[in-house]
Amino acid sequence: MHRLLAVARAYTLSMLTYRTRTVVSLITVLLAVIPVYFVAGALQPLAAKAIASESTEYFTYLIVGSVASFVVAEAVSAIPSLISSYITSGTLEQLLTTPIRWPSLLGGLSAYGFGWVALRALVLLITAWVWATSTIAWSRMLEFTTIMALLAVAYLGVGLIAGALMLSIRSSLFIPQAVGTLSALLGTVYFPAAVLPPAFVPFAALVPTTPALRAARQILLRDQALAAVLPDIATVFAWAVAGLAIGGLSFHLALVHARRAGTLTQY
Amino acid sequence: MSAATPGVDAITMQGVTKSFRADRALWRRLRGAPGTEPRPVLNDVELSVKRGEIFGLVGANGAGKTTLLKILSTVLLPDRGRVMVDGIDVVANPAAARTRLAVVPADERALFWRVSAGENVRLFASLYGLRGADRDEAVERALELVGLSHTGRQLVGSFSSGMRQRTLIARALVTRPPILILDEPTRSLDPVTARELRRFIRDVLCDQLGATIVLATHSTEEALQLCDRAALMGRGRIVATDTLSQLHAAVGGARVRVRVDAAHAARARVLLHLPVDVISAAPDELVTLQVTLPDAAHAPIVLDALVRAGVRVTEFAAVPLTLAELLESVGAPATAESLRHA
Repeated sequence: MHRLLAVARAYTLSMLTYRTRTVVSLITVLLAVIPVYFVAGALQPLAAKAIASESTEYFTYLIVGSVASFVVAEAVSAIPSLISSYITSGTLEQLLTTPIRWPSLLGGLSAYGFGWVALRALVLLITAWVWATSTIAWSRMLEFTTIMALLAVAYLGVGLIAGALMLSIRSSLFIPQAVGTLSALLGTVYFPAAVLPPAFVPFAALVPTTPALRAARQILLRDQALAAVLPDIATVFAWAVAGLAIGGLSFHLALVHARRAGTLTQY
Repeated sequence: MSAATPGVDAITMQGVTKSFRADRALWRRLRGAPGTEPRPVLNDVELSVKRGEIFGLVGANGAGKTTLLKILSTVLLPDRGRVMVDGIDVVANPAAARTRLAVVPADERALFWRVSAGENVRLFASLYGLRGADRDEAVERALELVGLSHTGRQLVGSFSSGMRQRTLIARALVTRPPILILDEPTRSLDPVTARELRRFIRDVLCDQLGATIVLATHSTEEALQLCDRAALMGRGRIVATDTLSQLHAAVGGARVRVRVDAAHAARARVLLHLPVDVISAAPDELVTLQVTLPDAAHAPIVLDALVRAGVRVTEFAAVPLTLAELLESVGAPATAESLRHA
């Protein structure tokens, strides 16, 4: 664990030197809420019935969806992107000549990104709380955070597979982009599954974002009892276990292949 | 850092072979396009490095030096052969091997540029298992050793190339590993900084700390100044292994550069009865000659003869053989030819 923390510290200190970029990024998050607020207000009468089980207000429905999309984007793209840049600079090779194991290395390198997602999510939720007419159940934040963490782990499997491809063939074959887009379109991030064309509705249930967001919204925006959302949480948990197992195995095998084929190092 | 135990091998390689695909593009490999077939990079490499010595891998670009170092440092697996580091098989037990060595890469981009040298060194200390006061003390000691303790919170990105190179060395030194692997350590340094670094490697890393050092270089001058022994590499093979002086002696063609008064140049050439090339005739009335000797032992005889004959000699210095000449002399003419035309 202390090796993971050491990598996380070095990487975080590196990233914190980008002060202007950090501030501008937070301001951008705030500014992006403005059109969402007005568009959601305009669509509220149309959306009210379809979203009723998860939220009374379309604006907060979208805000929680946006938080999930931040989480998914980070989970699927952080690892392949880090692997790519660290192979180019030789940093990956250097770190792997030390006694650190790859799960600790990836954990340490990803920690800042997920911390940054958490901060942006908090900014979004506070903005929603200030502007929304409905309430946010702040007392349920621990459960909400747990669901988002499970969602992150579920998609981390995709990130690990993309990272494995990056190690092996120096391309993630656009898997992070494809999965991110599918998750946004089918995973009820911006609209409920009910408004999808009928042929696509069954596929929405196959995306981990759908049960995760249903549970997260019911807890945070409807203050539902945990027992009511347990089946959805169990589904996301199963996705997380499967994602981590398949992704972890893929990455491990890719690392062995890369050591044999020479793709771990600069070329 | 463990004390040197003369006579015991710190590193052994037996029959190490490695091939790569020059072109790794998947779709071209599937079509079987030229260049996608595996190409040998190391071919049946055998070597041993004794504890406490500085061992050079000397060869042109593409000779296989870096591949060999990467196999030693466990980031590459050999196709065949056995590699032992401090008695540990690097293929069977890479995790244990990693605790015995540290790598100073050729590329300074491997550092975290947006943190201080101290943070870079601290990270590696933690990765090798040091914690708390022990780690802080080790970091301070390593920075002091390379002369960077004054840099405080200054970011590595604002350092000169020489300072970054020293940061890489401090990072490798922080846990005092018994074996240090240096990949072209002076590649991006100016001549003065390079000379200082070579002195540091010899005086501090080897003599003071007793580390075994494996160093890859394409500079025969660097190998001559630093290495106790060297392996000449060409096209993935070890062409010869010996002390540099022995390798030079085997060539049997030592050279010296002599600067004499222009008025005495003709007399010097006649007197020497040896192959002499006029390198330059400067406006300060001095002429530089390059004299090829039968062997290095003839140098003092030549100088004595010139002085006795009244020739005013203002400079008399050995001229190291080029890598191409050295490779050619030990039986790798194809590699030497490609170097000469590079």
